[in-house]
Amino acid sequence: MSDVVIKFENVSKTYKLYSSTRKRLLGVFIKKIKYKKKNAVDNVSFQVERGESVALFGKNGAGKSTVLKMITGVAFPTNGDITVNGRVSALLELTSGFDQEMTGRQNIYLKGHILGLKDNEIKALEETIVEFSELNDYIDQPVRTYSSGMKARLGFAINVNIRPEILIVDEALSVGDAAFRNKCQKKINELIHSENVTLLFVTHQTAVAEEFCERGIVMKDGKIIFDGPVKEASAFYKKMYAIKK
Amino acid sequence: MSKSTGLIKSYIDNITLNFKEHFENIPQVFKLSVADLKKTYTGAALGWAWAIIKPIVNIFVYWFAIAVGLRQGGDVNGYPYILWLICGIIPWFFMSEAITGGTECIRKYSYLVTKMKYPVTTIPTFTNLSKLFVHVIIALAVVLIFWIAGYPPTVYLLQLPIYTILMFLFFNAWALFAGLVSAMSKDFSNLVKSFNIAVFWLSGILWNIENVRDSELVYSLMMVNPVTFLCYGYRNCFVNHVWFFEEPKRLLYFVCWYLIMAFLSIWAHKKLRKEIPDVLM
Repeated sequence: MSDVVIKFENVSKTYKLYSSTRKRLLGVFIKKIKYKKKNAVDNVSFQVERGESVALFGKNGAGKSTVLKMITGVAFPTNGDITVNGRVSALLELTSGFDQEMTGRQNIYLKGHILGLKDNEIKALEETIVEFSELNDYIDQPVRTYSSGMKARLGFAINVNIRPEILIVDEALSVGDAAFRNKCQKKINELIHSENVTLLFVTHQTAVAEEFCERGIVMKDGKIIFDGPVKEASAFYKKMYAIKK
Repeated sequence: MSKSTGLIKSYIDNITLNFKEHFENIPQVFKLSVADLKKTYTGAALGWAWAIIKPIVNIFVYWFAIAVGLRQGGDVNGYPYILWLICGIIPWFFMSEAITGGTECIRKYSYLVTKMKYPVTTIPTFTNLSKLFVHVIIALAVVLIFWIAGYPPTVYLLQLPIYTILMFLFFNAWALFAGLVSAMSKDFSNLVKSFNIAVFWLSGILWNIENVRDSELVYSLMMVNPVTFLCYGYRNCFVNHVWFFEEPKRLLYFVCWYLIMAFLSIWAHKKLRKEIPDVLM
């Protein structure tokens, strides 16, 4: 019965840090050029089943975002294997995944095309997305003229409405006003409960996470140090944080 | 032994991946190239007119400097210098944009690399394709100009698409290589920009390479230069009336260049694909 959609097996990710961009360019051609290694993710293994909703906790630099990027498929592990089954819709840094020169509407089509949707499929979703984003007339203006809140709204509207199978939300709910935030939370709840969408959620607000998620993972220095029910995970995270202070 | 077969296998895998990414994304590549084209020209009030104004101004300036200023520019093979100039310079307009634009392409579309899962090998293809649309329109306009000037199309014009396709393939390989390397560091794109002008003046675009036939070294350098090959390929169609198979050596040199470029692009992709998203963040 169990249906694994995300599987990490001994995954490590090492960033190469060069002392200058010139060194990095030379490093492409010459192996000898020295660089520092930074282990962003260190020998991590876990799996997520279909319909699960998982919160990732951890301080900045704990490796949460790197894990999400690897699930999305924009970053690659240095070692280990990752298996992902299903269409991933990622809200990584909501405000930046757009073509700045195109209008909001053109960006809807662009994202749809990249995700492999056909024109008529996008057309069917277009009005829902425009309505959800509350951009009204601005939808036909270039995205570079948008405020960050507007970009976030559009990004959110596109990503939750293109029928994702795996939804990745990276601190996205901290943008926008309270009304829009509520609407987003409602939409996410609806996706989890009625459409069996798998959710991965990164936030520093443990209360929000407890509302959505059943399971919590706490990361520190690239390692998973806790994996269990969300209440326990958030308590663990708070305690860890409190001791640090 | 097993190490070298592993290496060969990884190259073959990369080539397969390249074809697979292109094959599976044909509609997206076309849509993105149209979007890229619109983006290039719709930002300005005159918009599409710039696609025509820019080459006209360039051609006029070069013609003025060479024919009026330097008093050069006699007829070539019975064709006026200006026509000879036009038909050789239009492929250069494409190449010049492909050289610099190719270098910038992955940086320009970094959001496709860092914010979503997108087949990176197709970024150079769709940016070059959008330049190719403009090029084809200009090339057709040149055929018309020749006709109006009293030189109707000849049978040699039939080989023009061959040169266009060769040019497109060559600069696709270039753009993948250069785009990936310059994503690692901007130094590379600055390097390319400063060499772009050098390539222009050294490749016999404004002056006829037949004039340097007496210097064996310079002439043989011109024979192996891929940019010269493409410019004179266009001139062979319009003015010189030579078939591409009549000069098999030059074609062979070009194919060698293409293979080197293709190898470099696969090498860069194999080496840098997984690193690029970390650097562009």
